[in-house]
Amino acid sequence: LMLCYFSSCSSWLPQRVPLRGSHWQSSLLELRTSLPVRAQPKKKKKVDVRKEQAQKERMKKKLKKLEKAAPELIPIEDFITPIKYSDSNRVRSLPTLSAEESERRVLLLKKWSLFKQKQDEAEKNAIKCLVESQQEALKELRLESEELYEAAIRRDEGLFPFQRDGPSYTPPLPGYDPPEGKCVDITKVYTQ
Amino acid sequence: DALLGCHRSYRSRPTHGIGKFKYLLPKELPKKRKEKVRMKEIDAGTEYQYGDVNIQMTSHDLCLVEHFAQYVHRLCNRLSIRVNESYAMPTKTNEVLFMEERGSKMQLDAVLTTHQRVIQVRGLSSTFAPILLEIIQSSQPEGVHLLMKEHTEADFKSRLKARPELEELLAEMS
Repeated sequence: LMLCYFSSCSSWLPQRVPLRGSHWQSSLLELRTSLPVRAQPKKKKKVDVRKEQAQKERMKKKLKKLEKAAPELIPIEDFITPIKYSDSNRVRSLPTLSAEESERRVLLLKKWSLFKQKQDEAEKNAIKCLVESQQEALKELRLESEELYEAAIRRDEGLFPFQRDGPSYTPPLPGYDPPEGKCVDITKVYTQ
Repeated sequence: DALLGCHRSYRSRPTHGIGKFKYLLPKELPKKRKEKVRMKEIDAGTEYQYGDVNIQMTSHDLCLVEHFAQYVHRLCNRLSIRVNESYAMPTKTNEVLFMEERGSKMQLDAVLTTHQRVIQVRGLSSTFAPILLEIIQSSQPEGVHLLMKEHTEADFKSRLKARPELEELLAEMS
C-alpha cells in the first residue's frame, strides 16, 4: 500500500520538488520554506535593509544640500562685454571739425530737440484727450444706467494676453518662394 | 602694552585722544551678503485693477529693444504707474540654415540673436490699461514684438538656472 502511494505521489508532484527524502520536510505540498533557514539568507536581508536605509539617508542629505543652495538667475549675455573688446589699446583719433561743421551740428541738434519736444507734447496731449473723453463717456453712461457703468468699470479678462508684431519696413513680397531651411537653437544652457 | 592697558583719558589735557587713528581711515561698509533670489508675491489684482502685468518686448535688434524698454519705463514713471521690476530675459541664439538650390547640403545663412526685455507693472486700473496699450502700440518700433500678459510663477522660473541634479533626486525619491 505504502509503495503504490509513494509512486503515485511522485508522478503527481512537479519534478523540481524533491521527494520526501529528508525528514525535515513536514509535508509534501510545501516547498523549501519549511526547511530550517540557515544563517546565510538572513544576513542578506539585514544587510539589504541597512544598505537601503543608508542609501536613502545619503539621498536625503544630498537633497537637503542641493535645496539649501539658492537658485541662481541665468546670466544675460547682453550685459557681458566680450573680452576681445577690452584688450586692445588702440584709440580712434577723430578729425578736428571746422567751425561751419560744428555750427551746423549744433543747429541740427537744436532742431532735433525741438522736434522731439513737439512729439512728446503731442503724445501727452493725446493721452489727456483719451482720458478725458473716456471719463466723459463713463459719466454719461452712469447717467444712463448704473448696471452698464458697473460692467464697464470692471476689468477686461480678454485684454491679456495681448500680442502684436511691430510694423515692418517693407510688406511681404507676393508670390515669393523661400528656400527650404531650418532654425537650430544654439542657446547655451546653464545648469546649477 | 602698558599704554594700551591704561584706560585713563585725560580729557583736559591737550594729549587727549592721542593714538587714535581709525577716524583717518576710509569708512568700511559692512560686508554685503549675497541676497537669495526669492520670488516676490504675485498680486492677483482686484475687480477694478489688474495685478502684476508683464510687458515683454522681443526683437533681434538689441539697441532698439533696449531703447524701447527705457521709453516704456519712463512713460510708466510719468503716468505714475508703479513699476515693480524691469529686467532682461536671457538671450536666445538661433542658427538659420537653408538648403542650397543645387545640392543636398544645408548651408549656414546667419546667426540670429533674440533679445527680450520685460517691464513688470502693478496696479493698472481697468479704465487706463487700454489707453496705455494704445500709446505703447502707437510708438512700437519696427521689428519689435510686443506681448502683454499677466505675471505667473512659470515666468519667474524661466529666468532661473536649470537644476538637473535636484530634479533627478526628486524623481528618484518619489
